[in-house]
Amino acid sequence: MKSLAAVAILSVGAALAVPAHADPLKIGIIESLSGAQTSTGRLFAAGVQYGVKDINAKGGFNGEPVEVVEYDNAGGSTGAADKFKQAVADGVNIVVQGASSAIAGQITEDVRKHNLRNPGKEIIFINVGAEAMALTGEKCHFYHFRYTTTAPMRVNALVKAMKAAGDLGTRVYSLNQNYSWGQDMQAAIEAAAPMGGYKVVGEVLHDVNKIQDFSPFVAKIKEANPDTVITGNWSNDLLLLMKATGDAGLKVRFGTAFLDQPGNIANAGETALGHYIANNYDNAAGDAAFAEDYKKVMGHYPLFVEPQTVFAMKSLQLALAKLDFHGGAIDTTKIALALEDTTYDSPVGPISVRKADHQTIRPVVVSKVVKDPKYPADGTDLGFAPVSVVPGAEAIYPVQSSCEMKRPS
Amino acid sequence: MEFAIISALNGVIYGLLLFMVSAGLTLIFGMMGVLNFAHASFYMLGAYVAYTLSSLVGFWAGLLVAPLVVGLVGLLVERYLLRRIHAFGHAHELLLTFGLALIFEELVKLFYGDFPVNYQMPDNLRFAAFTVFGTDYPFYRLFIGGVALAMFLVLYLLLSRTRIGIVVRAAERLPSMAEALGHNIPLVFMSVFGAGAALAGLGGAVAGAFFPTNPNMALELGVIVFVVVVVGGLGSLKGSLVASLLIGLFSSFAVGIDWSLASLFDLVGLGPWARSLGGLMTMTVSSISGTIPFVLMLVVLLVRPAGLMGERS
Repeated sequence: MKSLAAVAILSVGAALAVPAHADPLKIGIIESLSGAQTSTGRLFAAGVQYGVKDINAKGGFNGEPVEVVEYDNAGGSTGAADKFKQAVADGVNIVVQGASSAIAGQITEDVRKHNLRNPGKEIIFINVGAEAMALTGEKCHFYHFRYTTTAPMRVNALVKAMKAAGDLGTRVYSLNQNYSWGQDMQAAIEAAAPMGGYKVVGEVLHDVNKIQDFSPFVAKIKEANPDTVITGNWSNDLLLLMKATGDAGLKVRFGTAFLDQPGNIANAGETALGHYIANNYDNAAGDAAFAEDYKKVMGHYPLFVEPQTVFAMKSLQLALAKLDFHGGAIDTTKIALALEDTTYDSPVGPISVRKADHQTIRPVVVSKVVKDPKYPADGTDLGFAPVSVVPGAEAIYPVQSSCEMKRPS
Repeated sequence: MEFAIISALNGVIYGLLLFMVSAGLTLIFGMMGVLNFAHASFYMLGAYVAYTLSSLVGFWAGLLVAPLVVGLVGLLVERYLLRRIHAFGHAHELLLTFGLALIFEELVKLFYGDFPVNYQMPDNLRFAAFTVFGTDYPFYRLFIGGVALAMFLVLYLLLSRTRIGIVVRAAERLPSMAEALGHNIPLVFMSVFGAGAALAGLGGAVAGAFFPTNPNMALELGVIVFVVVVVGGLGSLKGSLVASLLIGLFSSFAVGIDWSLASLFDLVGLGPWARSLGGLMTMTVSSISGTIPFVLMLVVLLVRPAGLMGERS
């Protein structure tokens, strides 16, 4: 009885110490945490966790630690729509997602509609990995922010760096997956031809992750006799393509977007040597402090999509630092406005938001697979060595005319 | 000519790989009447077991032991799970094996992680068997084809020429009669299921070293393997072989074909008009090569519902 009274007194004391009951900021990760895309979805979630850990270590936001809730969309847009409703019910303020443009398309529409119907209770969508042009084009809206590159940014940087290194050649083959991302890549490869001084000698769009045997495609590539194959393929579609090319003894260079997906380098082995990647970040390109701290906290060097997710959280952290709701209700519109005005100096260069379409202006790192790099990949002796860091101002493309963003009045 | 020869070669080998994986499925369906949804999971399991063993006892030993391990798993699944629900009919068997497939996938992720593991063929197998039109043809592809052919021959002879084959076939046709003649039918079923699983395991152990071994490999091949079995005729071993080769050849040739509906209109001089319409008109065959097996399945089901070599029951 006595101890109960003590607890009661203690809790009253604790309640008095904290100024009323503050609203915590809630971040909902709606990610592919089961199913075929788990490997990527898990990494996005890890990046968010790392970023939020630092926000909370520095006092959280609004007098409370920032809460992170993980929702498993099971790799589909139906699951994502369902989990978005759940997140709304749980009072989530910010939704984060990255794996798959199809799912991002669903979430961004859901967010837009939710915000129309619930003025004053808007939700922000921080897109950390979905690169479809439409998301900052016809689907753009004020509460969507894209903290990653897009196809033209990657291709332009890739072409520039490969040309400067003398590895591009004059004949380029475009091989991509037949959906929004692959089509964006193909369009970007065609558009970059005059700048890169090459001719597109062949174009293929193929089914996404359905093809087990890429040797017929290799035969097709060989017929066109290119110097370089530029591809936006990811996962098995990239790995199988590279292996089939290596097995056939075909000497072409690959310019890729997702070669750093874990497991790729180990599986491709020597075949991967000399191939290029254009990416948001490379451990060897930036200040090593970030990579080392990430390893200390998470147990491994930042991988694949983790860095860009962390940078998005760092930008959010800077934006939040400008705001103070004094423990009251959280106004996400103010957070969105603050995000627009935030520039985060990432280890590879500044990242800022373009107000017209909420695409981030960010540096693109082009790297090459070499032997004995500073940060070996997948426990092999191979890894990436940065070739050049293309600054944001050079990598960015004009705002798409299809984006008609309605700003909050 | 170059295109035809290379495409044929690629198609045949890919077809044989498909056969290697679907042989066990056909066997299990043909001899037990169980549509095993978890079949591709046994294929994945084979690759992972072989990967684990290859780092301990070497590649070849891994290749031999992996099918045994997977076969054992198959025996246990039949003995303790399938047998209990056999009396409730096909729907229950389907649901059970479907659930197993999901469980196997998550188990593999739990123990081996989400990323592809580094299961590689030994370096002394990594060489070009021959060169066609300036392209190296990897020896390992021929090896995959050889294993598949050997598998077909052994299975075919076993079922049609030996006493074991007679018992197994009798157990499928007239179980009660076979039982009355003194054969242990549950044991026969258990062995058939185990053998089917072991075949998938061997397929996985062989193919996993060539294709990446990852937690999605069951999902990726699972559907296509069913297409093979349906096109070939459920339960027909020869049908499966023919269907695999057909699918392999069709997919391989389709990649090189840049025809679209618009090129059909070219024949009557309406090509430019059709191209200006875009959309379906300009979609090339090569961009939908992954869909061809399914189109083939549709056509076969419409024309011959029992499959190419299946028997109407």
